[in-house]
Amino acid sequence: MIEANTPLLRMVRYFWPMVVLCIGLLIIVAAVDSTGDIILAQTLTEGLVRMVMVVALYMFIGNSGIISFGHIAFVLIGAYATAWQTCCPYTRDMFMPGLPTYLLNNSHHVVLAVFLAGLLAAFVALIAGFAIMRLSGIAASIGTFAFFMALYAAYGRWSTWTSGGSTVSPMEETTTPWSALAYAVVTIVAAFFYARSRWGLALRATRDDEIASKAAGVNVFGQRLLSFVITAFFCGMAGGLYAHFVAAITVDSFYLKMVFITLSMLVVGGMQSLTGAVVGVVALSVVIDVLRRLEAGIGSFSLPTSSAEVGVGLIMLLILLFRPSGITGNAEIYWPFKGDISSSGAMKRQS
Amino acid sequence: MDYAIQTIISALSLGSFYALGALGIGLLFSVLRLINFAHGDFITVGAYALIVPSSAVTATLLIGDFHPALLVLCIVGIVVMLAILSYFVVFQHAQKSSPATMMIISFALGYTLQNIIVMIYGGRPKAAGIWSDLTGQVQISSGVSVQLLQLVTIAVTWILLIALVLFLKRTRVGIQMRAAAEDFRMARMLGVNGKNVIALAFILSGGLAGIMSLLFVTQTGVLKFSMGVPIMLFFFIATVIGGMGSLVGSVVGGYSVGIVSVILSAILPEELRGFRDTCVFILVIIVLLARPQGLVLTKAAKERV
Amino acid sequence: MLLNVENITVHYSRLPALRGISVSVDEGEIVCIVGPNGAGKSTTLLSISGVLNPTEGEITFHGKRINGMSPEAVARAGISQVPEGRHVFTSLSVEENLRIGTNMRKDRSDIEKDFKHVLEIFPVLAERRKQAAGKLSGGEQQMLVIGRALLTNPRMMTIDEPSLGLAPNLVDRVYETLLELRKDRGLTLLIVEQSSERALTAADRLYVLRSGEMQLEGNAADLRDGEKVRQAYFGFEEGTTHEGEVAF
Repeated sequence: MIEANTPLLRMVRYFWPMVVLCIGLLIIVAAVDSTGDIILAQTLTEGLVRMVMVVALYMFIGNSGIISFGHIAFVLIGAYATAWQTCCPYTRDMFMPGLPTYLLNNSHHVVLAVFLAGLLAAFVALIAGFAIMRLSGIAASIGTFAFFMALYAAYGRWSTWTSGGSTVSPMEETTTPWSALAYAVVTIVAAFFYARSRWGLALRATRDDEIASKAAGVNVFGQRLLSFVITAFFCGMAGGLYAHFVAAITVDSFYLKMVFITLSMLVVGGMQSLTGAVVGVVALSVVIDVLRRLEAGIGSFSLPTSSAEVGVGLIMLLILLFRPSGITGNAEIYWPFKGDISSSGAMKRQS
Repeated sequence: MDYAIQTIISALSLGSFYALGALGIGLLFSVLRLINFAHGDFITVGAYALIVPSSAVTATLLIGDFHPALLVLCIVGIVVMLAILSYFVVFQHAQKSSPATMMIISFALGYTLQNIIVMIYGGRPKAAGIWSDLTGQVQISSGVSVQLLQLVTIAVTWILLIALVLFLKRTRVGIQMRAAAEDFRMARMLGVNGKNVIALAFILSGGLAGIMSLLFVTQTGVLKFSMGVPIMLFFFIATVIGGMGSLVGSVVGGYSVGIVSVILSAILPEELRGFRDTCVFILVIIVLLARPQGLVLTKAAKERV
Repeated sequence: MLLNVENITVHYSRLPALRGISVSVDEGEIVCIVGPNGAGKSTTLLSISGVLNPTEGEITFHGKRINGMSPEAVARAGISQVPEGRHVFTSLSVEENLRIGTNMRKDRSDIEKDFKHVLEIFPVLAERRKQAAGKLSGGEQQMLVIGRALLTNPRMMTIDEPSLGLAPNLVDRVYETLLELRKDRGLTLLIVEQSSERALTAADRLYVLRSGEMQLEGNAADLRDGEKVRQAYFGFEEGTTHEGEVAF
């Protein structure tokens, strides 16, 4: 039994939820990698890319209490921004003739491209958030939704930069389980530290009581905007990863279905905890994968088409109605050993 | 001049359609603070109910072949049943959730409904025309001809609006509903049965959706599992612009959005016309910022948004 | 006892707002609950009317358990509540507001009589019958909600701060009306007030509530000198009262 309250132990305890989540993902990736199953690896990669989106969503929704329907807009921005830098170097001027000359003639390395895509998303978030983050409650949620729809409609029509509704391809499939894992881990670490930073604390204060937090000197608009911009950055990167995972993108890949799936994952896990975000992605990914396989048929048995979608919808409804705090009940992973709990941040419930 | 009259009539017709949809959403928001994203999918279900359930590529009309009166009755009945069921099975258990959570719940319900439709009918669009006579043109004066369906849409909308107003103003249940929309708790303390009022709102909303299924299928002649989504988005915009929780606001919002879209399509230069939807959604954000209570002010909306 | 609130505890999320309080009201009585801001007075009334659900204890009305019932069921059982802040339906006309109160009544024949009676008590409502209730002044709105509550033909009426936001002469008028109603109809009243002065003159019995706990109860006649009430209200001995703490 670990009893001594050494500084090292206290540190491990403090980082405990983050460490467990990252190691857990590492084990999953290593295990799948060792099987050599390509289909499984693809499911895993997709799950990890979604992990980046969902953890970013958690960073915003969990801390601000504002349900955002708009973050997929940043994924969309990120995916296209990456495509501008990396896609199809020889035919780029055919797909997207409106791009500036520099982009038409130069390609960036994927890592740089994804990073810049994140920055562009963050920049757009800064501008959009300047208006939307002034709203509160349901009006803010509607604002994010309207923003998403406006951007989606614009990208669909902006054919000289996005090739309109048709596919932009090919991009190298550089997003593998391992590279996606790296981004997921970075996002989880960022979310962990953000929640424990003074900004995270201030933002949660606005979530719990907007008026009281204002009275205590919290700049509600500023904190929300900051969170919106930071999380847009991660969603933008996730868009780039997604583009390099599917290798061909259309505007329609980033529509309501993606909004719904990512929100579902967060809700199923528990909107107000990092553990919830991660667990939600894993749980729903597994459910979707199993249902998909059953749809395809095992032996003579098969489920009807779109069983996976109906299944996700029903699970989502059941969780929302009967366990709105999600699988994790909005709690983080507990420190499993005996000892002085009060000195440990790991035990803290955030709800 | 002739062109102007035609444009006005199509603007009014589109506006009427949006107003009916926005009203269906506004009714529920006013008593339950629910923005029902499944409303468009209720319309889809009503449309699919016209044909024989099967995944065959070509659709066979079932209810769609009934006598028009019976057809209307059946479709409206089916959609009303669906709406009532969605209250008792789903939304009743969510009454204590925040409006944003309820919005996600309705999102989940709509998603499930769409995919159940795919499961039963298949995912490909199907042609299914009813009342094709209505899509013909009528001459209303020399040189001006409009689609008959547009006139029917306007007429149906106004009949329904007048009926609804009479119901809300003249009947006891109607007055109770208005009271509950303004201050739900106080109405209950005066003995108004909350559950009945909400169930009634679902019935009315479902009834409107049923009628809209018919108008919509007559217009397009095509069934698609996701057909409810794009129109739902416009109803939603109309509700927000008009002012959530206000029924007058929903109607005003519906007409504003319909008329503005038609006018924008008519006057925007070719290269910008594609960005019409973007403009409309940005307008929503501006309205939220400048007049969060919508164009039509109600006390209820002020407290709620 | 007509109404018996026994040992109820009410929580707002996890914080207790009321801890084991008991209140009883007899047929025809006027009972007042007084206490400072945040004492739990409104919570008590909202628990009685079924809006809040006590985690412990029991509320009976005419010997029948009513906690756990919905607000509309409580209203139908005969308790009419006038909550804090008036709550008129602003977009409905004065008459529509009044008629809402009659919706659940079975005795159709008496409704018109009661309706006329309420308009007699509050003639200003008769003048403004067709106007939107939102256009009324604060005092008129207070009369409207009392009239509306009367039209439910209650066995008991609970009123949360009838004097809040009203000019003193209007407060007098409201209390006169309430006393007349008791005299004429034998109406039972449970009133919540922040100031005990008015409550002491109108009530038969008085409860003092502070920080979610019952501090004192007694006959108004025995408490008229006010000393005990003051101690219970502030929770400290006379002499340590701070100037201007609460308008007494």
